[in-house]
Amino acid sequence: MNTVHGQHWLRRWAAVIWQVIGAVNIRAKILGIVLGLVVLIGVAATIEVRLLLEQTLTNQAYEHSVAVARDMAARATDLTLMRDYYGLFRLLRDTQANNPDLRYAFVIDSEGTIIAHTFGTGFPVGLRDANTVTANEHHRSVLLTTDEGDIWDIAVPIFDGRAGIARVGLSLATREQTVAAVTGQLLITTIMAAAVGITAAALLTWILTRPILQLVELTKAVASGDFSRRAQRWANDEIGKLTDAFNAMSEALAQAERERAEREQMRAQYVTQIITAQEEERKRIARELHDSTSQALTSLLIGLRSLADRHHSPELRRQVDDLRGIVGQVLHDLHALARQLRPSVLDDLGLAAAIQRYVADCRARSGLTIDLAMPDLTDERLDPALETALYRIVQEALTNVIRHAHATTASVVIERRNGHLRAIIEDNGCGFDPASLSGDGHLGLNGIRERAALLNGQLIIESAPGSGTTLYVEFPLPATNEERHEQHSVGR
Amino acid sequence: MSSILLVDDHAVLRAGLRLLLESQPDMVVVGEAEDARTAITQATTLQPDLILLDLSLTNSSGLAAIQSLRAAAPQARILVLTMHDDEGYVRQALAAGAHGYVLKRAADAELIAAIRAVLRGELYIHPALTRRLLEDILPQPQPTNPWESLSEREREVLVLVARGYTAAEIASQLNLSPKTVETYRTRGMEKLGLRSRAALVQFALDHNLLAPT
Ligand SMILES: Nc1ncnc2c1ncn2[C@@H]1O[C@H](COP(=O)(O)OP(=O)(O)O)[C@@H](O)[C@H]1O
Ligand SMILES: [Mg+2]
Repeated sequence: MNTVHGQHWLRRWAAVIWQVIGAVNIRAKILGIVLGLVVLIGVAATIEVRLLLEQTLTNQAYEHSVAVARDMAARATDLTLMRDYYGLFRLLRDTQANNPDLRYAFVIDSEGTIIAHTFGTGFPVGLRDANTVTANEHHRSVLLTTDEGDIWDIAVPIFDGRAGIARVGLSLATREQTVAAVTGQLLITTIMAAAVGITAAALLTWILTRPILQLVELTKAVASGDFSRRAQRWANDEIGKLTDAFNAMSEALAQAERERAEREQMRAQYVTQIITAQEEERKRIARELHDSTSQALTSLLIGLRSLADRHHSPELRRQVDDLRGIVGQVLHDLHALARQLRPSVLDDLGLAAAIQRYVADCRARSGLTIDLAMPDLTDERLDPALETALYRIVQEALTNVIRHAHATTASVVIERRNGHLRAIIEDNGCGFDPASLSGDGHLGLNGIRERAALLNGQLIIESAPGSGTTLYVEFPLPATNEERHEQHSVGR
Repeated sequence: MSSILLVDDHAVLRAGLRLLLESQPDMVVVGEAEDARTAITQATTLQPDLILLDLSLTNSSGLAAIQSLRAAAPQARILVLTMHDDEGYVRQALAAGAHGYVLKRAADAELIAAIRAVLRGELYIHPALTRRLLEDILPQPQPTNPWESLSEREREVLVLVARGYTAAEIASQLNLSPKTVETYRTRGMEKLGLRSRAALVQFALDHNLLAPT
C-alpha cells in the first residue's frame, strides 16, 4: 500500500521535473549541467579539505602542546624543588615567548597551590580544577571551550608528580585562521572554475546550437515553399551530416518543384491551345452555318415566295407555303445551333450583350426565373480571351442550375471591384457538397476552375445540400490608366 | 416607282431578292453590291430610295457601313435585312441611322410590307424584337423604399452581398458565422421583397448604396 503510494508520488515528481527540464532550451541545459558540476565538486572538495585540514591541524597543535608542556615540566623540576619562584616565572615567560600559540602556562605544587602563572594579576576561576593528572600518567589533555576560542589544556606531572603539575594552554585560533583562509581560497577557486566553465559551456552551446537554429530557420523556409536556401556546414560532426542531408533534401525538393512547375506550365499551354482551337473551330462552323448555309436557305425562302406570287393555283400556293414553313423552321434551328456553338454577339457586341442574350434564351428554354445585373459592364470591350472564358463559365453554370439545382430562381451578377472582375452565379435550388466533387466525370465545374486558372482567376463555390449554390469566379483585370496613374503617384 | 439598292455578300440571295422585288409593280432594283465599299459608291451614284442592307458583308460589317451610306445618300431609307436577332444589333443599327430591321428568316412574309412601311417614312422593326427593346425602356414599378426598416446588421450584410463578397468573406469581415450572415441576408432580402442577388444588386444601384465608403 505504502510503496504503491510512493511509486505514484515518484512518478508525479519525475513528470514535473521532466516538464521543467524539457521546457528549457539546450543552452540552459548545458549551462545548468556545467554549473551544477563545478559547484558540486567545489563545495565537496572544500568541505573535505576543511575537515581533513582541521583534523590534521588539531592533531599537530595537540602534539605540539604536549611537547611544550613536557619540555616545560622537565625544566621546571629543579626550580620547583628549590622553590625558585622567580626562575619559574621566567621559564614560563620564555616558553610563552617561544610559542605564540601558548595562551597561558602555570605550575601547581604538590599541595595544590599555584606557585607561578602567566596571567599577571588575576587567575581565572576554575581553571586550576579544569584539568589534572595523576603521578604515573604521561600527561592528560582537555579541550576547553572559552570565550577566546578552543584551547588545548595539557597537564604534565613534574618529577613524577612529587614536585607538582605543570599546565599549559595552547590556543587553536591559528588553526581556525588557516582553515578559514584555505576555505576562502578554495571557494574563490571554485567560483573562478565555474566562471571559466560557464564561458566554455556558453561557447560550446553556441557552437552546437548555431547550426541547429539555422536548420530550424531553413526548415521553416522550406515549409513555406522556398527551396533555394542552403544551410552552411560548420563542422564535420553529426550536425554537419544533418546539414548535408538537409541540403540534399532541399536540392531534391527544388528540382522536383522546378519539374512540377515546368510540367504545369506545359499543361496550361496545352489546355490553352486546346481551348483556343476549340473556340476557333466553333466560330468557324458557326460562321459557316450563318453565312453560307443560312443565306442559301434564305434564298430558297424568297424564291418560294416569288414562285407563290407568280402562280395562282391554290393547290400550288398551299404546297409552297408548307415548304416555306419548313425552310423557315430549318433556318431558325440553324441559327440557334450556330449561336450555341459560338454566338456572333460575343465577337461583335461584347460580353454584356452575349450574356444578356444567353440568359434570355435560358429563361425561354427552361421557364426558370433568371435575374441579371451587370452594373459595371459598359460597351468597352474586354480581353477577348476573358470575354470568352466568362461567357462559357456563365453558360456552364446556368446549365448546371437547369440540370441539377431544381431551383425556382437564379441570378447572374458581374461586378468590377478592386481591379477584379467577379462573376457570381447563384441559385436557390437543392445545393450540393462542393467537397464531394472528385476530378473524374464532372467536367463542368472542373472546366470552370481550369478556364479561370488559365487567366489567373479563381473559382469559389459556396453550397451545401438544401441551401442553394453560389459560384464566384474572379479574374484580375489589367490596371486602367487612372489606376496605373494612382499607383504611380502612390509609389512616389 | 421606288428604286432599291441591294447590299448582300450572297449572290444567290441577291438574285432571289431581285426576283421577289421586281415582281412588285412599284419597285425596281437599280443596283447590287456585295461589300461596303461598292455599296457606298453605288449609293453615291444611284441615290436610291431604299437600301436593303445585310449586316455581315464580305470583309466588313454592315453596322459600320450604315453611317457612311447615310452620308452618301442622305435621302435614302435604310432597311437592315439580317440573320441576327439580338436586340443589341437592333439598337446599334438604329443608333447608326437605320430605318428598319427585318430578320432573314421572316423575309418571305415581312420584307415587302417592311419596305413599304419604311418608304412611307415609318420605322419598321421585327415584332418579336420590338417587345424586347421596349422592355428596357419602360419604367419598372418602384416599390416604396423599405431600406430604412432594415436593421443595421442586415444593411451591412446586404451591402456586402451586393458588392459581390462571398458569404465566407462577409462572415470574417463582420465577425459573424457564415450561418448568421445567411440569416441576415435572407431576412433583409425578404423585407425588401427581393428574390435574388442580381435583384439586390439592381436595388442597391437604384438606391445608390454601392458608393465607395
Ligand atoms: N447549381 C447546382 N445545384 C446543385 N448541384 C449542382 C449544381 N452545380 C453542380 N452541381 C452538382 O455538382 C456536380 C458536378 O457538376 P459538373 O462538374 O458541372 O458536372 P456534370 O454537370 O456533368 O454532372 C453535379 O453532378 C451536381 O451534382
Ligand atoms: Mg455540368
